[in-house]
Amino acid sequence: MRIALTGIAAAATLAMAGTGFAQDYPFRDITTAVVWGAGGGTDTINRMIMAEMEKELPVSINVINQTGGVAGSNGMVYVMNQPDDGYTLVGLSESNVTAAVQGGWDKKFDYWYPFIVGGSPDLISVGKDSPYNTLQELVDAAKADPGSIPAAASGAGSIHHLNLLAIEKGAEASFKFVPYKGSAPGQEAALAGEVALVVTSLAEQAPLILGGELKPLATLTPESAKIGDMEIPSAFDIYDGLDAYLPLKQAIGFAVHNSAPNDVKAALGAAFEKAIASEIVANWAADNYYDVGGQYGEEAQKLFSALESNFAYTLQDLGNAKVDPASLGIEKP
Amino acid sequence: MEFFIHQISEFGTALTNLALDPITYPYLICSVFLGIVFGALPGLTATLAVTILTGFFGNKFPLEQSLIALIGAYVGAIYGGSYPSILLNIPGTAASAATAMDGHPLAKKGRGGEALGMTTTASFIGTLIGTLFLLVFVWLLLMISKNIASPEKALLALFGILLSGTLMSKDLVLKGWISGLIGLAMAMVGLDPILSETRYVFGWSYLMSGFQVVPVLMGAFAVPQIMDGMRAAGSIGQKVDVGKIVPKVGTVLKRFPTIARSGVIGTGVGALPGVGEDVAGWVSYGVGKAVCKDGKDFGTGSVNGLLSAEAANNAAIGGALIPLLVLGIPGSPPAAALLGALKINNVIPGPTIDPALIVHVVAILVMASFTMAIMGLLTARVFINVLRIPQTIFLPVVMVLTTIGSFSVGGGINDLYLMLAVGFVAYAMNKMDYPIAPLVIGVILGPLFDETFRRSLLISDGELSTFWTRPGAAILLSLNIALVLSQIPTVKRLFGKLSFTS
Repeated sequence: MRIALTGIAAAATLAMAGTGFAQDYPFRDITTAVVWGAGGGTDTINRMIMAEMEKELPVSINVINQTGGVAGSNGMVYVMNQPDDGYTLVGLSESNVTAAVQGGWDKKFDYWYPFIVGGSPDLISVGKDSPYNTLQELVDAAKADPGSIPAAASGAGSIHHLNLLAIEKGAEASFKFVPYKGSAPGQEAALAGEVALVVTSLAEQAPLILGGELKPLATLTPESAKIGDMEIPSAFDIYDGLDAYLPLKQAIGFAVHNSAPNDVKAALGAAFEKAIASEIVANWAADNYYDVGGQYGEEAQKLFSALESNFAYTLQDLGNAKVDPASLGIEKP
Repeated sequence: MEFFIHQISEFGTALTNLALDPITYPYLICSVFLGIVFGALPGLTATLAVTILTGFFGNKFPLEQSLIALIGAYVGAIYGGSYPSILLNIPGTAASAATAMDGHPLAKKGRGGEALGMTTTASFIGTLIGTLFLLVFVWLLLMISKNIASPEKALLALFGILLSGTLMSKDLVLKGWISGLIGLAMAMVGLDPILSETRYVFGWSYLMSGFQVVPVLMGAFAVPQIMDGMRAAGSIGQKVDVGKIVPKVGTVLKRFPTIARSGVIGTGVGALPGVGEDVAGWVSYGVGKAVCKDGKDFGTGSVNGLLSAEAANNAAIGGALIPLLVLGIPGSPPAAALLGALKINNVIPGPTIDPALIVHVVAILVMASFTMAIMGLLTARVFINVLRIPQTIFLPVVMVLTTIGSFSVGGGINDLYLMLAVGFVAYAMNKMDYPIAPLVIGVILGPLFDETFRRSLLISDGELSTFWTRPGAAILLSLNIALVLSQIPTVKRLFGKLSFTS
């Protein structure tokens, strides 16, 4: 009797699975594993965009955090090991492109089919009591005593670190690079006077700038920025050589396996397009000083591939690459 | 003074509004209960409780209600961790590891009911102390926490690790330090925090992210406890004398100095960015051992020891919210999850925050601590009954829960191997009378010490004087030296004579 019942149950399950297979994607809940911690930019952006995409899809999207590893490799490996059926997405950012050359995993970034929600331009700022009031003053001081002025940025190979390197090259100055685990501790160090300057994004600095705790000196993009009634000049207008190295811009969003079926990519793409065009996303981005991206698929892959080349070879020049980028098939920028 | 009166009156209004709004209560009761359950299940942390609720609420519910739920869960989880600490000697969260030191011996003496009651009271008063600081001394604490840079953090972490040497080794003080150094060595595994070089990885990519605290914590405390319990287990449960759970007012008043001191320490530690409830509990426990009259009885079932740990870890909540709300820099891991929830709802904490929101958060904290206290005193009577269940039935269930807890952090099978490996090592260490708590402290505080110590030297160009030329660092350095000296027998005898003759 029991065997018979089990048999019926098994048949029923199979039948359900069978009908399920024939249904259109998505027919069950989607999970997005964010590779960075709760409260950070990538986490916040993913929770925001997933809440919007949920409205366009017949299912729920759960956001979880899978942190750790090298450059977020734990989360990427976790999603890689899930089936490529579009039910597990990975929430990531530009900083993940170094995971391969740092030995976290062994895939080129085109393993993913990415969707870019946006990014925020990087700023170079000093504490409110700092003696430096312009970028020139800061750079002149650094030239007078090379390598003596401590500069905070997140860990070696992060976008903020690469931006710091670029300004050093472009302005021919050298600072003492002090790495921090993430942007918030670096900014905290600038407030405490532990470092003289900090390079993080406008979105991350905005509340501290508006509250008068940080003094912004320059943006590291060709455009200047406006925050409150303050105009932040562009470093490009101050130093001519910068366009050889900059801009390097954040790309925060999520991705699905590139090997996922086309109907999955299409369904996600359609939901993404609607979500990114929504007023809620536009308002959120404006209030939080993010520029909305909206690229996905091949276009986004190209952007990430350019970032990957740039990051990988910069790390190799610094002697921080564990794996030769050429051996992974990453082309020189 | 004007600010003081203004804050109090604002708070009064906010609290009345909150208390009179009936919608507050379902959110509050459910979330505090959920928090307690998360805290009480070994390995499930306060951070996880807040993160899951953040995912659940998203930006779909009004922020006021989401905040009630998130803060309620936070308060409940930090408190809930004390249940398994006291009843099973298995800390529910890292924050309540110090609670087990004296809580479990009390339970073994049949004073479990009293211990749960005192813990609840201490958590309640501790939360209120942290909240008071958040309301009134927020700017003062902010000034202090802004002046805390790498050298001070390094010395504070060192203080915590050195404290481990003084904790409960039965025969030799040195055994505590040996265990602490093993923990410190374990903390060095993985990518180094400054140059991202691999250390002790042996080409295994799992080790690159270092050892996670939760699997180590579960391995160190739960696995040996379960093995011991199963060896000694009879087929019937323990006789439980519940006794009086609600403590007498007189007893609480008598203990108030300990609770107040621990509350202030907890708030201060919590207010340091990146240093959370777990460190608060240990530091306060260590300080209590040094200053309490019955300090030498700590670890054998001292009520003062229990209160030191438990008041501090809950007070750290209010402390952790100070840098979160006013600088946008979370003071602890659960506060980081809270930051995410605020940002999704388009509230950007930082110097530009609406002061009314701080007062609102304070009102929620006060409501949550009352809910926690009432719920705790009611449920303690139920929870204590788990001791009646035969250990041969109960401990395997605990093992399953522990495994789930360890898995929940990273979602990797390697974390479970780590838990088991640490568990067997810890069992052997227990048999050789090596205290295991210092090892866990080493794993928790090691990365902080490593990172801040090396960064201090990087900034000062290798100049060690950075550890005594800053006023805060100088104070902490002398505390460290005093701590080491106080453990050397010759010095101890000298001081003993001095106090004898005077």
